[in-house]
Amino acid sequence: MSEITLQGLEKRYGETTAVEEVSIDIDDGELLCLLGPSGSGKSTTLRMLAGLETPTEGEIRIGNTDVTDQPAYERNTSTVFQDWALFPHKTVLENVAFGLKMRGVSTDERHERARAMLERVQMASHEEDDPTNLSGGQKQRVALARSLAVNPDVLLLDEPLSNLDKRLREDMQIELREIHEDLEETFVHVTHDQDEAFTLADRIGIMNEGELIQVGEPDEVYENPKNRFIEGFLGDTNFIDGEVARASEDAVHVETGLGSEIVLPAEREPAVTEGTELTLSLRPETLSIDGSTTSGSEHERPMMADGSAMNAVVGTVENVLYRGSTVRCSVSVGGESVFVERSAGNTETLTAGDEIRIEWNGADVLAFHADGERVTF
Amino acid sequence: MTSNLHRETVEAVAFRAGYLTLFALMLLPLLVVIATSFSAGSRIAFPPDGLSLVWYGEFFQSRRWLEAFTNSLVVGVGTAVVATGLGVMGAFGQELDDGSLGTILAPLVLVPLLIPPVILGITLLMYFNEVGLRGSYWTIILAHTLWATPLVYFVMRSVFSRFDWQQLDAAHDLGAGPIQSFVHVVLPNVKHGVFVGALLAFIISLQEFVMALFLSTASTQTIPVLAWTEIRQALDPMVSVVSTFLILISLGALVLAVIATNLEWVSKQLS
Amino acid sequence: MALLTNTASLSGSLGSIRESLLDQSSSNRALLLMAPLIAFELLIFVIPFFILLRISVAGSSTDHVFAEGTWSLEAYREVLTSDLLWSIIGYSFQLGAIVTVLAVVIGLFYAYAIWRSTGLLKSLLLFSVVLPLLTTLVIRTYAFDPLLVPAGLVPGTVGVVVAQLYIVLPYAVLAIYSVMATTDWDVVEAARDLGASRPRSVLEVVVPQVMPGIIVAAVVSFAWSVGAYAAPELLSNDITFAMHVEGLMLSDMRYPEAAALAVVMLGLMGVCIAGIFTVLNRFGGDFELA
Repeated sequence: MSEITLQGLEKRYGETTAVEEVSIDIDDGELLCLLGPSGSGKSTTLRMLAGLETPTEGEIRIGNTDVTDQPAYERNTSTVFQDWALFPHKTVLENVAFGLKMRGVSTDERHERARAMLERVQMASHEEDDPTNLSGGQKQRVALARSLAVNPDVLLLDEPLSNLDKRLREDMQIELREIHEDLEETFVHVTHDQDEAFTLADRIGIMNEGELIQVGEPDEVYENPKNRFIEGFLGDTNFIDGEVARASEDAVHVETGLGSEIVLPAEREPAVTEGTELTLSLRPETLSIDGSTTSGSEHERPMMADGSAMNAVVGTVENVLYRGSTVRCSVSVGGESVFVERSAGNTETLTAGDEIRIEWNGADVLAFHADGERVTF
Repeated sequence: MTSNLHRETVEAVAFRAGYLTLFALMLLPLLVVIATSFSAGSRIAFPPDGLSLVWYGEFFQSRRWLEAFTNSLVVGVGTAVVATGLGVMGAFGQELDDGSLGTILAPLVLVPLLIPPVILGITLLMYFNEVGLRGSYWTIILAHTLWATPLVYFVMRSVFSRFDWQQLDAAHDLGAGPIQSFVHVVLPNVKHGVFVGALLAFIISLQEFVMALFLSTASTQTIPVLAWTEIRQALDPMVSVVSTFLILISLGALVLAVIATNLEWVSKQLS
Repeated sequence: MALLTNTASLSGSLGSIRESLLDQSSSNRALLLMAPLIAFELLIFVIPFFILLRISVAGSSTDHVFAEGTWSLEAYREVLTSDLLWSIIGYSFQLGAIVTVLAVVIGLFYAYAIWRSTGLLKSLLLFSVVLPLLTTLVIRTYAFDPLLVPAGLVPGTVGVVVAQLYIVLPYAVLAIYSVMATTDWDVVEAARDLGASRPRSVLEVVVPQVMPGIIVAAVVSFAWSVGAYAAPELLSNDITFAMHVEGLMLSDMRYPEAAALAVVMLGLMGVCIAGIFTVLNRFGGDFELA
């Protein structure tokens, strides 16, 4: 039984608030990713969970025990640190056996268990090595083995992959996922890398400026971001500012710098009126582009049978960036700059100066109030 | 152009000659002391009038010198233990501290080094008289600790500043309590610093003279104090013998400290 | 370096003690660890100075070292009105000033030589500073006896200055060197590139940068030389304040007077050190070559 409850958790340093009113229930065996930019309070939250920081307010329960006032060494949590924090004066085996030694396990038994754990992370051949001589990936494995060796109620990972290069990081993500499935233990993983969070997490909790903004399964968070911050943080998108021109039960028309109104289908009486300022998010994956432009068609906005609206604008390609598997074009439309993406394998090449037509379904556009809150129609 | 080059050469030669002269002058007095200890005569003179080990023999016959030697060792070891304990704990506490109490610690610890030892000596003599501690080894140990602690403290601050404090978190996190984590994780990383700190504290105490002069009694007088009284009475080579021992002990300690760390680092700690 | 910044921050930090004592976030463990050191400094340093102050304003007594429980400014009157004492004080400060200037100039030169050298030479130069530093000042003083007696320099002020210089020079060199070691040689090359001669480029560029080290060297040399005891006692007939205080304490047993003299000296030294600090600090920014 090791479900975890954080209730109204706060951490203040003097005047500054690092973590504000974080409440969340983490299920037994779940892998939760806390995702956020640096300084968002995610690491502080993790450290309070580990017992390395004392909360200013709030409560932490692991299983049915209130551990809020327990110091780190009395809690059965274990952390994999960002720089791994291996003990340089101890061998790899002694590092992994350290937690068991502190729990009073006999030498033979702790070495046996440490070896088994090193086996699990494929580091058995390095048990006599000095950790300072290991590569980043190897240190990472040893740190993981050291934390798992104590059989913790919850494993806490504080950006342990951020110091690895891209390739190794991706391999380790898959391996971590496998280890998690194997052990069926609760993991809380902190990261600032949204790809990592989407790869690993059962659920993602997104933090910004000390607050936990939204918690949900990866697809849910991605499809339904709660506010503009999350929409911007989870992936590159085009934010277009505009003002409501007309709002009806069927559709909301927004006047933007793109030079034409954008039509968003509505399912009920919209909560906006004429003149309301909105920010629209046009995600590159929802934009389709057509290089063979025919002029004069951009003002046609055929309403689809399902009530959604197809929108289209014409713009001029400003530059083309090759980004590995995709090609990103920035396109000047009206007074705005919009970027679109297509796969690199596409035979049709675009060059700067080309006129292209961009189309999207109005139902795929997300709208946000001026204060950042999401608006649905 | 040529004259400029010429000037630079002259400057370079003068610079070299300057520091080599200073180098010689720094070590010369110590060499003189060592040389005079091998004197065969009864008065010290440089160069010595005849070479012999007779005064070394005298030293090991002299109860007064051997007692002073024991006193110096007792005081030196006592100072090293007390100063190391206080300095290591204080510097460690300051690393853990997130309040500002720690910021007054450094100046408080340092100020005694700026007070002329004569003033410290009379102040402590009056104080120990008042509290009735006169004549004990403790008076000298505590006085020397006043000077040795800043050294240990700054050595440890410098060592701790290079320590990866995440290791302490990791140890707590793996179930090591405050004492266990200090013993198993912090100490093995900083033991060289502790060793050098203790060694320097011992040397400071062994060599300190003015405070010891005020605070010691006939039964607790240390080597430098006895040497001082001897010098003022008669200039026989016995003092040179004793001085040679003291120089050799410092030299040995310096070599040990340098082996544990490096000369450049040790030098910076002393300033 | 540490000495300077820490001393300078003393006044600021004192104000925050109260605040930090009330600060909940200060972990108890840290306080517990620092407590013995703080207690030690209070018991063996701060309180004794209050007792010194108290004794300095006590009356004298014929059968005791001072008259307990009495209040009197007699000792101060004695110190402040005695011509002999003023000449002793004057001599002490004169000695302090001469030795300080020499120690800083020579220390700067020697530190520069260590800084510019490499490998074995650097180690030897450092060693030549550290070994005397770790040798008792009795030996450092005594060594000059056989050296200076044949040269006909003893007794005399020159001998005292040389011996006292030998005592403080290692500290001055290391104080300056430890700051210099953090300085970038490129700045000197840049100055030379801009047309400064070698000594001038050092004076213009290096000296201002190592000013914190120079201040520490000056303060330490001054404090210890004003309070010089061993060198003048052994090598000269002139009396310094330290020798006089020793006489008052150990021979005459006139505690109030000794205490009052110590307090007066500390006050005067405090003023001088503040002066050194202010003057040298002003040079820190831009060193104007006259």
